[in-house]
Amino acid sequence: MKRYVLFTLLLFAIPVSAAQQRSGEPATQTISPAPSFEPVTHERLVNSDAEPENWLMYSGNYFSQRYSGLDQINRENAGQLEMQWAFQLRALDRAETTPLVVDGVMYVTEAPSNVIALDARTGSQYWRYNHDLPDDLNYCCGRNNRGVAVLGDRLYMGTLDAHLVALDAKTGDVIWDAEVADEATGYSITGAPLLVGDKILTGVAGGEFGIRGFVDAYDEATGELAWRLYTIPGPDHPDNASWAGNSWRTGGSPSWVTGSYDPELNLVYWGTGNPGPDWNGDVRMGDNLYSESVLAINPDTGEMVWYFQFTPHDVHDWDSTQIPILADSEFNGQQRKLMLWPNRNAFFYVLDRETGEFLLGEPFARMTWAEGLDQNGRPIRIPDTFPTVEGTTVSPAIGGGTNWFSPSYSPRTDLLYVNAHDGETTYFIRDDEYVAGQRFTGGGGQTPLPQESYVSAIRALSPQTGERVWEYLIQPRSTAGVLSTAGDVVFSGTIDGFFFALDAETGEELWHINVGSRVHAAPMSYMVDGKQYVAIAAGNVLYTFGIRD
Amino acid sequence: MSLKNLHFGAIWLLVAGLTGGLETGLSAQEQANPFTTGLDVRTGQRLFDRHCSVCHSVGATGGDNGPDLTTGEFRHASTDAGLFNVISDGVPDTPMIGINRNRTDQTVWQIVAYLRSISGGGGRVAVTGDPTTGERLYRGRGNCSSCHWLDGEGGRQGPDLTTIGDRRSPEELLSDLVDPDERVQPRWWTMRLTHVDGTRVEGLRMNEGTYSVRILDSEDNLWSFLKRDLSENERIETSSMPSYTGTLTGGELEDLVAYLYGLSRRDP
Repeated sequence: MKRYVLFTLLLFAIPVSAAQQRSGEPATQTISPAPSFEPVTHERLVNSDAEPENWLMYSGNYFSQRYSGLDQINRENAGQLEMQWAFQLRALDRAETTPLVVDGVMYVTEAPSNVIALDARTGSQYWRYNHDLPDDLNYCCGRNNRGVAVLGDRLYMGTLDAHLVALDAKTGDVIWDAEVADEATGYSITGAPLLVGDKILTGVAGGEFGIRGFVDAYDEATGELAWRLYTIPGPDHPDNASWAGNSWRTGGSPSWVTGSYDPELNLVYWGTGNPGPDWNGDVRMGDNLYSESVLAINPDTGEMVWYFQFTPHDVHDWDSTQIPILADSEFNGQQRKLMLWPNRNAFFYVLDRETGEFLLGEPFARMTWAEGLDQNGRPIRIPDTFPTVEGTTVSPAIGGGTNWFSPSYSPRTDLLYVNAHDGETTYFIRDDEYVAGQRFTGGGGQTPLPQESYVSAIRALSPQTGERVWEYLIQPRSTAGVLSTAGDVVFSGTIDGFFFALDAETGEELWHINVGSRVHAAPMSYMVDGKQYVAIAAGNVLYTFGIRD
Repeated sequence: MSLKNLHFGAIWLLVAGLTGGLETGLSAQEQANPFTTGLDVRTGQRLFDRHCSVCHSVGATGGDNGPDLTTGEFRHASTDAGLFNVISDGVPDTPMIGINRNRTDQTVWQIVAYLRSISGGGGRVAVTGDPTTGERLYRGRGNCSSCHWLDGEGGRQGPDLTTIGDRRSPEELLSDLVDPDERVQPRWWTMRLTHVDGTRVEGLRMNEGTYSVRILDSEDNLWSFLKRDLSENERIETSSMPSYTGTLTGGELEDLVAYLYGLSRRDP
């Protein structure tokens, strides 16, 4: 069937090209064949670095490096970047989406839980899917969706009402729609799923509603639940004792950002968020395992192989829901399987991803709550930094030294690029009573000075030492993700609507453009018909940039 | 909608109107806030902390996802009833969702009462000073109009005061007069800039980003500089307004406060 379609398109294309040649019209008007979408196999996902023209998963590859192997755009010519096309998203929200590109077809998500398929060369639409949502939906922090996952000729998306939907990648038709959790009790899904083998892995949001977090795996064919790993162990597990009384039942620990996968070790890595209630730790004494942790999970069984907790008994809402970046690099003279994790708590961690062993931890942003980390990576807290009724001012800010927005790692420079914020917040504690489906936060925060008093920066960190190799200061600040490329270019954006390119080795600015609205998503790159594009969502428009032909 | 349904809807609206309709919220457009006691304000604060502070921050001073609600100016509502509807139903196509699940009308009105109490738009309070004397001081010895815009005229070197009484309480106005450096909004910071060609310009910071800065100098000229063209770039986060502590007596300050507090677009 597929061959037949391609053959027909080629027949159509030939006479048009011939006519154009005769009339001497420019070749750019030639109607080329439609993109050829090949089913995305598990092998293609594992070997995604071998096809840098495509962007097959949220973070680019299973190691989540958000690194593009394309180098047509490079530090020599990045100054000549020009807009190629723009696509207007319908929702007014600031977009957080990273598009996928599969063989010339782009899949972009839109708030609250919609998908649009576009021709990646022109931004012209094939189809759109609008997900129906309840009118009185309750969720934390905006109507966000960060992207889809692809396997075979199907797309998978988590939705704001905590469903997982499977769509036909050619038409957007629904194949199945499974409820992951009851949205009425505060669950939602905003992150892109992760495809591993024949399973779709998804996390959940709801840390501000007293949920009990988990990571789920669903059978890709049927949508049936294959396994569930609670991020808070039940009373039959010894680690349940890290929660006072019954506080584990409403302990949050959500899993709202996409994880990573090491095919060789067959381990999935997933970050967990704040214990609930966020700012009142008095009602949940203990370390609150496995909140604020990274979990190493066997994707076949859902068994947790190891965990590392970044912030035991967090009381500042410093979710450890960052993208786990996996890198094979040298550490202390040995080639190691590393995990690089610039955390919202303002420490940059390097772990051994085979064992979870703590290797290194250094502050990468303004930090006033800990003297440092001990030999096991446990923070040594400074006294009197917990929230109080009157308020306690501590760095980093509630938004963190960084947050969910993706960092990037370039194997060419062996540097980790992170969007860092040197802020502070005055943290308050409040009494709160758990009511299912209502907010359960136990306090909040206030920024003591105008936001303009603080700065953000893109910082390049060494995985070997944690040292800052360079930084690029941003005013007033940034909440954008970062992309690095084989052209040694780093891309990111600012809250006041600029998108920019830096030299990956030096941090020197190569190019910037005013895209008119907040850049709150992460960039990605792809190639169609021999032309490299960089795509970024800003405000509610998706832009692509490239070098003029 | 069929004709039958339309007919039913019309009757329902009529019934809601006759019965006051508070439970439906339909007649909230006509309602004054029935819950404005001190206890209501405190309860509203607790409710705000719980439902709203994640985006708007504790104290409603604004956060990453929600604007500052203490300025006395609300983008999507001007009346109490309008605020009721926004809090209840949200603002379509924005991150602002309503708290319509599990709430009562009383809950929403209490949040309205809290917001009014912190936004300078709460119930008017009596002031001791004489506004007529205050106006003379404003235009005379205080020399306020040389910097401040008021009713379409005056200077551009300070905030427009035409409706300042809607946004600031008498205590805040007094604090502004005696300690102008207490909390200076970034719009009123000063920039001292030197261009690579040697030009030196100083002025109020209208806006600043990673790549450029725009200022208004003391002669009301607008300047925009690319930061890469600047050899020096100094930011002064204090106010350019002098303190009136030594210039005006305590009684005169009260008179000036009374005049400023009376600058309101609302009925007296």
